[in-house]
Amino acid sequence: MLGPASTAVWAGINAGSILDGDPVRETLSWVPSLGLEIDLLIDQYALLFLLVVGVAGTAIFLHAAKYFSSTTKVATFAGTMTLFAGAMVGLVSADHLLALFVFWELTTITSYLLIGYDDENPQARSAALNAALVTGGGGLAMLGGLVLLAEESGSYLISEIIASPPSATGLVTLAWVLVLIGAITKSAQFPFHGWLPGAMAAPTPASAFLHSATMVKAGIFLVGRLSPAAVASTEWWKPVVLTLGFATMVVGGWQALRQYDLKLLLAYGTVSQLGFMFLLIGSGSEALLYGGLALLSAHALFKASLFMTVGTIDHEAGTRDLRRLTGLRLNTPAVFWAGLLAGLSMAAVPLTFGFAAKEAAFDALVKDSTWLIAAAAAASALTAVYTGRFLVGAFGGHHEGHEPAGHEARTPRNALLWSPLILAGAGVAFGIHPPLLGPLVDGATAAISAVEEAGKLVLWPGFVPALAWSLASLTIGGLLVWRWHIVEATTTAVARLSDRIPTADETFKASVSGLLRFADRASGSLQNGSLPFYLGVISLVAVLVPASAVIAVGTAAPPSLPTGGVLEILLGIVVIGAAAGLIFTRSRFAAVILLGAVGFGVAGFYAVLGGPDLSLTQLLVETLVVALFALVLRHLPARFQRRTTARAPRAVVAALVGVFVFAGGLLTAGTGETPAVSDYYLEESVPTAAGQNVVNVILVDFRGFDTLGEITVLATAMLGAAGLVVPIIRRRRSASS
Amino acid sequence: MIGRPSPILERGVAATSAPLAVFSLYLLFAGHNQPGGGFAGGLVGGVALALVWAAGGTTMIKRLIPFRSTVVIGTGLLIAAATGVASLIVGLDFLESGFVEIAVPLVGKVKFVSPLLFDIGVYLVVLGMSLGLIRALGEEDDLPPIGDEDET
Repeated sequence: MLGPASTAVWAGINAGSILDGDPVRETLSWVPSLGLEIDLLIDQYALLFLLVVGVAGTAIFLHAAKYFSSTTKVATFAGTMTLFAGAMVGLVSADHLLALFVFWELTTITSYLLIGYDDENPQARSAALNAALVTGGGGLAMLGGLVLLAEESGSYLISEIIASPPSATGLVTLAWVLVLIGAITKSAQFPFHGWLPGAMAAPTPASAFLHSATMVKAGIFLVGRLSPAAVASTEWWKPVVLTLGFATMVVGGWQALRQYDLKLLLAYGTVSQLGFMFLLIGSGSEALLYGGLALLSAHALFKASLFMTVGTIDHEAGTRDLRRLTGLRLNTPAVFWAGLLAGLSMAAVPLTFGFAAKEAAFDALVKDSTWLIAAAAAASALTAVYTGRFLVGAFGGHHEGHEPAGHEARTPRNALLWSPLILAGAGVAFGIHPPLLGPLVDGATAAISAVEEAGKLVLWPGFVPALAWSLASLTIGGLLVWRWHIVEATTTAVARLSDRIPTADETFKASVSGLLRFADRASGSLQNGSLPFYLGVISLVAVLVPASAVIAVGTAAPPSLPTGGVLEILLGIVVIGAAAGLIFTRSRFAAVILLGAVGFGVAGFYAVLGGPDLSLTQLLVETLVVALFALVLRHLPARFQRRTTARAPRAVVAALVGVFVFAGGLLTAGTGETPAVSDYYLEESVPTAAGQNVVNVILVDFRGFDTLGEITVLATAMLGAAGLVVPIIRRRRSASS
Repeated sequence: MIGRPSPILERGVAATSAPLAVFSLYLLFAGHNQPGGGFAGGLVGGVALALVWAAGGTTMIKRLIPFRSTVVIGTGLLIAAATGVASLIVGLDFLESGFVEIAVPLVGKVKFVSPLLFDIGVYLVVLGMSLGLIRALGEEDDLPPIGDEDET
């Protein structure tokens, strides 16, 4: 909770100066030698999103704390949610395209973890995978687009790309297409909207945060941020965005009407609202942008509140099926008020902030074209209908033939009630006095379009055409809710036709499963379980590829071989003898001992050639390995069994590898002088690092970061080995007892 | 444990494991100026644990080190990463090192180097890794070897 709260507080504190036109810029140096920096820019546009993340996040986290009973893994959930919130903050603050991409993919990963939180549930797992594949695939396409865009316009900084957008060439068009794909997958636009309803398998607080207030808005954020440059670069941006947005609006609203699960109803409703926001914010026109940003703020407030209300209902009544819920209006009146106020804002009833926002949007659409405003009004009617369905279903009576639920529900006296109630109340408060948020939305619009006062948020707009359209859509919507059977009949009739067409989601799942079947067959032929086969393939490739390169390019003559001293010759005999014995012995135990002898011999070489640290480590590792081998040997038979694979090929491969490594070492040994870096380490070891053992100094000081990675690998290897061995032993033990 | 409990093995291991433990700590602390270091120290600790296993099995190891191997490894990783972050907090780059010289009474001047903390983290990781492997591979059972079952 501290994460989002501190974000909200920071945003609030700095809002004043940012809105006055003094954005916060910071650059964190990541890899200066490669020019990789994390550039941050928090202007009014980013400020709006930061406030959304912070305020919604705080409310939702408080709600989540009370939502979970004392089940396990709440700590993991809280950690993942906080990580997600951090990623979102980074995403909206980023000025560098690659930093944006990193945060973008972080939200994909955390979303995957949160959707699949209930990992015993196969539905949750498959929904999480679906979401990850769609948004991840879109993200990959987006990366290609972003890189192309940066290369064509000469800068990786968003602020610079907007200042001088690239001209339209084939590559630039491709870049914009790819970026658009990234945005529409993340923001669940048609035809990639399928993953969002599936993501409702996540716990309700996660759905409230990710899939209503923040993550799905990331795509919208991006198109909004880049739209000035996009519109300047291409002619097709605006029509395509409008089409996709409207398609999403209609499809989402339509599907919402068919749902019985309150959460799914809200999910499809979110898809529809996202479509509306997408077309408003991404279109490039500043009046539409104003309406879109206002709608985004309103949406965050009422959607988060509605999801939390559903969560509270679920918590108290035990179900989300609107056919079963009954009596909640009387049993949990405060929850009813939270749901009602938020719902009214969603349907854009006058006196709510949703109404003020939608009026601003309609006002802009009316000035744009009649087709647009008519379509928007129709879609808003749909919104009113499904909102009515939600409210009546949740707080009305139960349907015939379904077991009623909700009699034991009581109003909770904690964040389960307060969070949704406060957010819903804010929706009404801002509706009654919209100028409170006016400067925020105004500043955000100005940051993108450089136009001040692109719209207005007012309580009562006067008798303008926009008002007529919204009142008409509200009336139609209300009538349809009253006469629900008309809606029911229409949806059933259309469904009979539309259910035959495979949805984008089904096509996607079919292609994924096809891919998996192909992968199975490919792996089956290459990975046949035979260890000699694997080693043979790896060795051959490791030898033949570099060898062919060397033969093609040619090399310098090898240096002359110095003759070794007596000690080295003796050690050589020990090593070679042990290796030969290893090949021919039939006893497993002898093989392990001889393997150890080879290792000790090599350690001896290191000692003789002047590397005490290396020699010490080699000796210790060899000792430990032999000890571990002894532990494993207890479970294996004493003698090697008859071979099943032929000997000759293995001998050939082994000989090839031996010759190649020897020749390779010889050829590369004679190529140069001591590299500069080891001179540097030798010189600097005592003065800067205060250590006389250069090897250790390199390990823990000069190359300490590498060592950090290496010990992580050690930990992982241990976990992997133990994880593989222990179940086998335990299974054998239980099988024999 | 290998075979039946052997008093000779037990006495021998009791005599050598303590000096080995001290030696592993010595390698850890001496590593910066002499051959040694966190890796070598941890490995010596691992070898000592293997000896203890030979004498007393996983029960004796559990008595000596009552923590799970993951706890030891996690602590080591935490210390190593925290050393890096500590440099960030002080305003240097991640894992940038520093050293101080302290005058200790009766001993003289002692140089304390910040990578020593990192090395302690490395030591714990290697020790924990050995612990985990020995525990996992050393689980006692009286089952016949795998191959023999197949040949019947």
